[in-house]
Amino acid sequence: MHSIPISPWHAVASWTWDAHDETCGIFRMAFDGCCPDCKLPGDACPLTIWGACNHAFLLHCILKWVNSQIPQAHCSMCRREWQFKE
Amino acid sequence: MTADALSLVCNLGVLDSLSEASISEILESWNSFCLITETIVKGDDADLSSSYSKFQSYVSSLCKYGLRSLVEEHFLISLQDMLEKHVAPKFWKNFDAYSNVTDLEENDKDMHEDEVELLLCKALEEISLEKQYQEKYLLMLVKSLQLCQDSTSMEGHPSDVEKFFFSKYHLIISSVLMTTLPRQFPEVLHWYFKGRLEELSTIMAGNYEDSESQDRIGMELYGKGKHPTQFGNMDIDGSYDQKEILENKLVRNIGMVVHNLRSLGFTSMTEDAYASAIFLLLKAKVFDLAGDDYRSSVLESIKEWIQAVPLQFLHALLDYLGDSISYLSPSSMKSPLASSPSSCYPGASKPSEGIIRWQLRLEYFAYETLQDLRIAKLFEIIVDYPDSAPAIEDLKQCLEYTGQHSKLVDSFISALQYRLLTAGASTNDILHQYVSTIKALRTIDPAGVFLEAVGEPIREYLRGRKDTIKCIVTMLTDGTGGNNNGPGNSGDSLLEELNRDEENQETAGLDDDINIDDKQAWIDVQRWEPDPVEADPLKGSRYRRKVDVLGMIVGIIGSKDQLVNEYRVMLAEKLLNKTDYDIDTEIRTLELLKIHFGENSMQKCEIMLNDLIDSKRTNTNVKATINQLSQTGAESQEHEVSFDILDATIISSNFWPPIQDEVVNIPEPVDQLLSDYAKRYHEIKTPRKLLWKKNLGTVKLELEFEDRTLQFTVTPVHASIIMQFQDQTSWNSKNLAAAIGVPVDTLQRRISFWISKGIIAESSGEDSNDHVYTLVDSMADGGKTGINNEELVADDDAERSVASVEDQLRKEMTVYEKFIVGMLKNFGSMALDRIHNTLKMFCVSDPTYDKSLQQLQFFLSGLVAEEKLELRDGMYFLKK
Repeated sequence: MHSIPISPWHAVASWTWDAHDETCGIFRMAFDGCCPDCKLPGDACPLTIWGACNHAFLLHCILKWVNSQIPQAHCSMCRREWQFKE
Repeated sequence: MTADALSLVCNLGVLDSLSEASISEILESWNSFCLITETIVKGDDADLSSSYSKFQSYVSSLCKYGLRSLVEEHFLISLQDMLEKHVAPKFWKNFDAYSNVTDLEENDKDMHEDEVELLLCKALEEISLEKQYQEKYLLMLVKSLQLCQDSTSMEGHPSDVEKFFFSKYHLIISSVLMTTLPRQFPEVLHWYFKGRLEELSTIMAGNYEDSESQDRIGMELYGKGKHPTQFGNMDIDGSYDQKEILENKLVRNIGMVVHNLRSLGFTSMTEDAYASAIFLLLKAKVFDLAGDDYRSSVLESIKEWIQAVPLQFLHALLDYLGDSISYLSPSSMKSPLASSPSSCYPGASKPSEGIIRWQLRLEYFAYETLQDLRIAKLFEIIVDYPDSAPAIEDLKQCLEYTGQHSKLVDSFISALQYRLLTAGASTNDILHQYVSTIKALRTIDPAGVFLEAVGEPIREYLRGRKDTIKCIVTMLTDGTGGNNNGPGNSGDSLLEELNRDEENQETAGLDDDINIDDKQAWIDVQRWEPDPVEADPLKGSRYRRKVDVLGMIVGIIGSKDQLVNEYRVMLAEKLLNKTDYDIDTEIRTLELLKIHFGENSMQKCEIMLNDLIDSKRTNTNVKATINQLSQTGAESQEHEVSFDILDATIISSNFWPPIQDEVVNIPEPVDQLLSDYAKRYHEIKTPRKLLWKKNLGTVKLELEFEDRTLQFTVTPVHASIIMQFQDQTSWNSKNLAAAIGVPVDTLQRRISFWISKGIIAESSGEDSNDHVYTLVDSMADGGKTGINNEELVADDDAERSVASVEDQLRKEMTVYEKFIVGMLKNFGSMALDRIHNTLKMFCVSDPTYDKSLQQLQFFLSGLVAEEKLELRDGMYFLKK
């Protein structure tokens, strides 16, 4: 007997952000979700690139945070000055 | 007698003035008067005119002395005596044959009816003759009295006197007859009229059919109204003439009888008799026309029949009797129908009020009868809906007329409880019936007041059933193949149908969530009407709300959240088992649900669908890049199978319901593909990465045997099982389990699928727990596998990829298990609501306790089943 899958093997996977923590430090919800302003997770509401201190947040959250903090925003996890990692 | 009579005269002083001569004159006149009265009244007098003059002289002499009243009285009394002693008994003797009413009722009705007719006619004629004689005598008296008028002062007009006497006489005769009335006379009358009416109706039915066909021609030619004209119609047919004559004769006969009866003072009895006969006939006709056929509206034809037969009859009868005014009370209101001449008879005069009243009475009766019929059969009618829509229309009109909605509600509720809400009915059926009920009753009662009352028992009952929510969701969303006997076309889920219906109805967008703009609000205010009397005051005003089928369905469960949740789980299940990315139907359904439930509730579902759309795109993306890479030779690995066979659905696990995860080893080449895919994905969509759920998804396989080729769509577990058999045709269950990487019992469950298909055969191995599975090469061995079919069925539950709602609940409540155990240890025993309250108090932090009492109860009973708790007298204890 010889079995040949004639049609695609349809597999299922779930995606997740490749980050150290599970939750966004600002928003306190799982990364795999989305910030309160967006409806859809994933590319529409992405993770930011890590900050200099290696902490990651949801992009929208950190943008809001940065814009509201003058003059210089601090990373809310380690309180260092926030720099987007290059 | 004389002395007493004298004392009747008020003025006793007169007595003194009477001389001896006058007294004797009086006496003489009186005696002769009495004698002559006797002879006259007895009717023995051959020559009336000669006695008349003598009579007159006596009367005048008596009147001279003021004994007028005495004379009147005496005469009347002697008439009365005559009636009592002779006339009445003779009349009643005619009907002695029918004295035993009950016996005769059932047997030989037809024969008796003919007899009755003749008998009645004869008897009535006799007595009418007698009466006429007596009236003649009375007239004599009146004339005589009138001659005395000029001598004494008389008040009133001569005709008044006559009327006075005649009315007194009528009173006498009717009272005599009434007091001597035998038991069977009303029955006799009733039979008589029944017989006549039936005869008449058959004639008229013949007429009706004739004239109907003529009428149709007439309509084509002249385009006139639809009622058949009978009297005075253009007679095209010769036989038509004959029928009319027959009819007229019959009516004349009846008329005479009625006239006689009336003059005898039997007015009310007569009317009673023919009224009941008419009603009986009408009832029979209604039953006949309505019957069990719900597909056509019968109300119109009933009304027409009423016009045709009974009213024609009454019209003729009353005309014959010169009706129009006399026996109607002068204060009768002007009927609104009386002013419209367009109905009934073209060419005839305006129908009189009597006819109008009769018509109203008959119509009301017909409505009521039809309504009762329909209500009794309402259950079947609703089962047949929408085929039986005309019957519902009829019922609606009847109810509008009679206003007896409460009867409908009561009877229907009891029918429901007896026939539908039993353990034997499947939830699906009950739900369908519920929806049909809503639709059907919606036409009768747009405000939905009675619908509430009727729906309440169904809702109560359905809440007790566990699979209600699932059935509802399936019914709403599953278009093709879901419901074979459901409403709508196949391929149309209930939801779509509801949407279509709503669009067809006016002001479909009147939702509570949507803001109504000013213009619409103004229109609504102008259309405001108070609630019907039966409305429940607690439920609030309903004037704005039209009956919302979906709302009522959701109302069964109470809140839409559970529905949405259930739908979410169902949707997840469906999506994960798809072999392609085609989700058009799901998108449509989602849009419809969004309209009804609001966007927020459906957000998670929307994300799920979006996941699928995204994965399609991503899939093509990934595969394209991989192919590129392999072409450029960057990847040096060789694949036995190309990437074309791999498709992936990528989900955001956060928004999906919890997924059942199982470990399984999938075939090596496929595994390799998966990891490559994941790598590519990570490169494209940094920083995201994939986590494979290897036990989920679908695989389409084609199995090639020597003599046949079979195709299957199975889960990866099944696929990997069968692919193991590619290398080795016989496996020990332990080894096989190890190869696939699942526990043995899981393996046994999964492999039963293949066994049932006849691909793999099972036989026992060395230990009792061990089985050996062998590949079946040809069909000859297929017979052995038939035994194992029963075991397959139980497995469906475990095949689900998504945990059911109940399972989810269980998991969540496990957190509270510790709390509950601790509480019970401290307090010993607690009742359900105490546990509930305590949990609410103490579990404010993560995770917050937001379960309902019912969910808690369910969980606790689960714990009891696991023997961790005990339930005694409504209190929970720790199990020792």
